[in-house]
Amino acid sequence: MTSALLGPPADIAGEASTGRPPRRRRTAGPRNTLTPGAGLGLGLAMLWFSLLVLIPLTAIIVTAGEGGWSSYVDVLASDQTWAAVKLTVTQALIVTVVNVVVGTTIAWVLVRDRFWGKSVLDVIIDVPFALPTIVAGLVLLSLYGPQSPLGLEWANTERAVMLALAFVTLPFIVRTVQPVLEELDHDVEEAAASLGATRGTIVRRIILPSLAPAIAAGAALSFARAISEYGSLVLLSGNLPFRTEVVSVRVLSFIENGNTQSAAALASVMLAVALFVIVALDIVQRRVANRG
Amino acid sequence: MSIDVKNVTKKFGDFVALDDVSVSLPKGQLTALLGPSGGGKSTLLRIIAGLDNADSGSVNIEGTDATRLPPQKRNVGFVFQHYAVFKHMTVAKNVAFGLEIRKRPKSEVERRVKELLELVHLSQFAHRLPSQLSGGQRQRMALARALAVEPSVLLLDEPFGALDAKVRKELRDWLRRLHDDVHVTTVFVTHDQEEALEVADEIVVINNGRVEQVGSPDQLYDEPANDFVMSFLGEVTHLSGISLRPHDIELESAPRLAGGVEGTISRMLRIGFEVRLTVLTVDGEEVSVVVSRTHARSLGIAEGSTVWLTPAAGATVIPRMAAVG
Repeated sequence: MTSALLGPPADIAGEASTGRPPRRRRTAGPRNTLTPGAGLGLGLAMLWFSLLVLIPLTAIIVTAGEGGWSSYVDVLASDQTWAAVKLTVTQALIVTVVNVVVGTTIAWVLVRDRFWGKSVLDVIIDVPFALPTIVAGLVLLSLYGPQSPLGLEWANTERAVMLALAFVTLPFIVRTVQPVLEELDHDVEEAAASLGATRGTIVRRIILPSLAPAIAAGAALSFARAISEYGSLVLLSGNLPFRTEVVSVRVLSFIENGNTQSAAALASVMLAVALFVIVALDIVQRRVANRG
Repeated sequence: MSIDVKNVTKKFGDFVALDDVSVSLPKGQLTALLGPSGGGKSTLLRIIAGLDNADSGSVNIEGTDATRLPPQKRNVGFVFQHYAVFKHMTVAKNVAFGLEIRKRPKSEVERRVKELLELVHLSQFAHRLPSQLSGGQRQRMALARALAVEPSVLLLDEPFGALDAKVRKELRDWLRRLHDDVHVTTVFVTHDQEEALEVADEIVVINNGRVEQVGSPDQLYDEPANDFVMSFLGEVTHLSGISLRPHDIELESAPRLAGGVEGTISRMLRIGFEVRLTVLTVDGEEVSVVVSRTHARSLGIAEGSTVWLTPAAGATVIPRMAAVG
């Protein structure tokens, strides 16, 4: 192929020059692009963020540090606390993984398929999220508690924790993935098919990378909600130490016993866990999104 | 023949998109499927590509029966009106896609991508994302992506439809030159008669799910099979029972030629070098006539002048049909 024969069209010649931006005259003055209005907005955002997030979080870390490093370690060295952390994080991770698969599938079905009752399902998806959590707990208790009409007596077991977490976190991934899937161009899949890509390859290399940011965002929400859940699981799980006691219950019992410092120490650990998972999810998402 | 479409019918519900269509497209040519929107030309292209299935009939590509083959197995390149770029991949990755899924060796993929990006003048944009390109650049990238797998036919669905007029014209010229260079059998869909006349070796005029005429641009323009083809390829007016082009009417200020039809100029509009006239004949017909400004001046005509009209010698003329016009 002798591309030299083909003179570039005029628009290409024009575009080529955009590779090197034209030299701009340097403007004197501050290198700040904020207009007065934007400055005010930024200030307001920072104030609000500080009041609601930064100051309380700092207070927790300060309280946790008051007794020094040894008391900090003591709290975590307690077997009961450690069991609660392990249970909470494990169940939250399991539920998040389940949600990634099930949530994406539900979103797919809602966007791509047509069936009777679809619009009803679309509305009902939000119910677990909208319901007051203690009501959700009551629902679960009546279904899976003693004398379960389903014959599934899962009260006071780890399953109860997972069930409650799965119930309240269901909508997150569905709702983050759904709009992205709706926006996905059908042309793109057809283009890949005509280039020889099988259905599996199209899903793996075209669709999933496009959905990855949405799935990761939903997973982060789902995980964050799961490690902090309280209301929906207290009734069904029974809060048995070493078996079904989650971190939020443990923190509450610390506070009820007047041990604010231990509560803060445990809270700071969960903060670190949440940060770690959110960053890890972001890294995974970037990997997947660039995989194409 | 590179593509043989036989007796293809396609319905969407009650709507007949293609009604027993048969066309044969020779190897190595650049063919335009031309027709009004909703006439079935895009559907035909998608059926050739396997993106839609025909209700009945057959499609044969390069001697193999492709009627039941999925798009993956047809070895066709398809270019979409709205580019269909893989947003999350760089330009180079987009072009490499077809080769990578064919598990070609890495060095070969790299060499081929480089070659293709040079061909479409996008070498310096290899590592950008499609979102950083203009519409024209995206479409050139899509073209390179389709050519990468060395398709036996290249199909373009209104490839320049989403671009502005200037870029469209440039890419049109460029596509013609690219085709002269690469020689892959190419079919493109357009509703723009100028685009079809300028670029294509052969034009298939499709309307209401049927093929109206197949021929070279000159054949279609000079010997239109019917009123529809004639009116779709350019302006048409009617003079005493025949259809002809407004610039093919001789205008005289005195009855000098035999058979001249007398009329009065009811409207006169000058656009640059040409003058467009509406003449109301004594038979009550409204005839459009286009003459050059110089000619109009030499005749000394104005609105209300009496003139005589005759079809010019050598004009394309067909009998007027009742239904169309």
